[in-house]
Amino acid sequence: MAEMYGWTGKMLRVDLSSGKISHIDTSQYVPQFIGGLGIAAKIAWDELKPGTGPFEPDNILMVMVGPLTGTLASGAGRVEVMGIAPQQHPPVFSRSGMGGHWGPELKYAGFDGIVVQGKAAKPVYIWINDGKVEIRDASNIWGTGTYATTAALRAMHGPKTRVIVCGQAGEKLSRIAVVQTETGNAAGQGGYGGVMGSKNLKAIAVRGTRGVRLARPAEFLELCLNASREGESPARLAMMEAYGMKTYSKLKESGVGYRRRKCGFCITPCMHEMHMNVPGEASSGVYTTARQCWGYSASYRAHIEARAITSDYGINGWEVSYGIIPWLQLCRQHSLIDKIDGIEIPVPEKPIQYLSDCAPCPAEFLKVLLHKIAFREGAIGDALADGACYAADRLFDGKGESLLDRIYPRHAGQTEHWGGHWGPGGVVYYPWWLPPILQWCVDTRDPANDSTHQWTEHVQYYLTQSGPDRGPFPLEKVRAVSAKVYGNPDVCDPAFEYDPPETKAIPAIWHHDRGMIINSLILCDNEHTRVFSMLSEDGAADTSLRSKLLSAGTGIETSEQELDKAGERIFNLLRAIDIRNYDRNRKVDEQTIDGFMYPGKDDGVMMDKSKFLKLLDKYYELRNWNKRNGWPTRAKLEELGLKEVADELEAVGKLG
Amino acid sequence: MAKSAKTANLHLQKLPRSGSIKIDRNACLACRECEVVCSLYHEEECNPALSRIQVTFDDFVPSFPSLSVCKQCDWPACYYACADVLGESAIEIDPVTGARFINESKCIGCGACLRACPLTPEIPVIYYKMVNSKRVYFKCDLCKDRAEGPLCVEICPGGALTFVPAKKGGKTDG
Repeated sequence: MAEMYGWTGKMLRVDLSSGKISHIDTSQYVPQFIGGLGIAAKIAWDELKPGTGPFEPDNILMVMVGPLTGTLASGAGRVEVMGIAPQQHPPVFSRSGMGGHWGPELKYAGFDGIVVQGKAAKPVYIWINDGKVEIRDASNIWGTGTYATTAALRAMHGPKTRVIVCGQAGEKLSRIAVVQTETGNAAGQGGYGGVMGSKNLKAIAVRGTRGVRLARPAEFLELCLNASREGESPARLAMMEAYGMKTYSKLKESGVGYRRRKCGFCITPCMHEMHMNVPGEASSGVYTTARQCWGYSASYRAHIEARAITSDYGINGWEVSYGIIPWLQLCRQHSLIDKIDGIEIPVPEKPIQYLSDCAPCPAEFLKVLLHKIAFREGAIGDALADGACYAADRLFDGKGESLLDRIYPRHAGQTEHWGGHWGPGGVVYYPWWLPPILQWCVDTRDPANDSTHQWTEHVQYYLTQSGPDRGPFPLEKVRAVSAKVYGNPDVCDPAFEYDPPETKAIPAIWHHDRGMIINSLILCDNEHTRVFSMLSEDGAADTSLRSKLLSAGTGIETSEQELDKAGERIFNLLRAIDIRNYDRNRKVDEQTIDGFMYPGKDDGVMMDKSKFLKLLDKYYELRNWNKRNGWPTRAKLEELGLKEVADELEAVGKLG
Repeated sequence: MAKSAKTANLHLQKLPRSGSIKIDRNACLACRECEVVCSLYHEEECNPALSRIQVTFDDFVPSFPSLSVCKQCDWPACYYACADVLGESAIEIDPVTGARFINESKCIGCGACLRACPLTPEIPVIYYKMVNSKRVYFKCDLCKDRAEGPLCVEICPGGALTFVPAKKGGKTDG
């Protein structure tokens, strides 16, 4: 094998049923599939057959890094976790990412990813130390929380050991169990902690000192330094500042100690930087936690405690606070339930229309609820451990199902986010929420993990007009950047709503494809891909930054167009998996729309379904998918070098 | 090791003061970009294990991260210890920044510098790597060949690192 730069050149395959550990040659997948999500998609296409359940040994758990992981590129600490996702309703092959220090450590230990298959006979963990790999007995850490597990593995393998781990929730096959790393990061959505639990895999511990070699280090360094100097919109910085100040003042009131922290290998201004000292009243021995992804607690102390408990049990705090709790409150408003273990479910006086209407929860309620979920206690804990969508199937004779409508598009297991409707996510005004909803229609998860943020969190903060926010650029400048980046000046012009339809379909596709690239390199979507820049003369960001980084890092010259094509290739391959294995089609895509048929939370604007369907038509057309069934055409797949995918889809009658 | 007459003299010689990197650990965000940029610049690979600055933190201990990097002492024990071994120190003084840096081509890998450093063993700031199966020691050189100054200072998003040039006193915060 030729020497590789950027990539380490090999991935691990661990079969827990047989105990066999082997290597996969990375070079057979790159540069075509880049790394990370791209390679995982190819492996899933090749190996995951229709009909496999998420908790069956045949499900493959892939924990992947990419060619830029562990490098100086900002956001290079991320990991992508993939496999059949139990949280999805019904389960489909999907993805979830997390930041932190584990991904770079895996790279430094010599691997571009781990593919875990089968099921161990008894609890085990995987220990990777500079290229050496062992499957070890985990009976002494089975049953412990993520914090105690991490501490135990650090005590055994050294303080610089990095660990990903499932908590008690994962062991109990909760569909909302996370893959946790340290105290502040987790692959939250998808339920991959439960997949670890189903494989009797408690943790993967890594230590590496080998480093990532780059083809042209001086050029790479210069690219990173210049990128880090790229300006941020004052409107976005002001938004983050305001959010930060709000948090600081709450903290001051609460008396909770804190320090700031980033999630690793990143210099981008970002809100994910709080790290607290936890009061330790509800969960003693837990010192620190992230602030993120939890809301609607009665006090900041309750918030911090709840966050620490979810991380320790390995529960998806996002799902609990933005999905399960609001749904329980709705159920109480509809007289389906009023108490859990004698503790009243908090409920607001007026009917809940949006997430922001929900009543704050006291610490005592949260503590009981989280314990019941983590340990599947009682009928209610057992049901809620699978998330609100599965709980609605089992509880209250199905009467809670319609109450999922606003929270979960398509009832597919993931709460609406950054789509301008239910919330969470920031302020997004009409018509800017139309592209995110198009992305929701075709994705297997909440697309605001890799694709939507680039649009909703970046683009709108440069526009002259976007709700209460006033961006820095006049309309002419915005239109010029829009023409340069998207090839269409009208995309960022608020004068255009549904017409012409490409003004919404273009950014939906553009950012989705780039989301695939970000998750394959792997970088962070909070930084990439920028459209606007405060520093360039014309106001446009350098959209070729990723291809330049990849070229200088790996030595394989890749143009921006070639990298974009790779993103499109990966997106089409994921679509093909969804079609072949789970019968995805236009009908399913369209079911998403009903989850958004109520006035937007920030602007009160109602979506026009018939007009939106025309956007969807245009979306399929620009994708060169068949408009009737939403399946990719042979021409498109062959153009992307996916002839064998076209052949296989044709053989099962699902080629567009 | 006994000091030779030549190096005993050298111990009395007053060295030009050095600039240094001032650390504010309370401002450290534990992103470790300083480690990555240091190794990329000096070793042409991204590898915190080869960084001249080290960040230590533990999420399970409620404290701020620790940052360790050579303090560029006024009286550099490493410099004299090396001279005791070699007769002429492989640790050299950069005329512009005053940085005490290891000339890797002269290093014989004996580790006298590391043993002499007053921060050893609690907070090691001198490290070694293997080159052709031989130890070669390395430590912070304040990016002396870079006109813009130390890269870790430049990249730090938290403002935890400040370069203090020699003329301002060069005292580190200990």
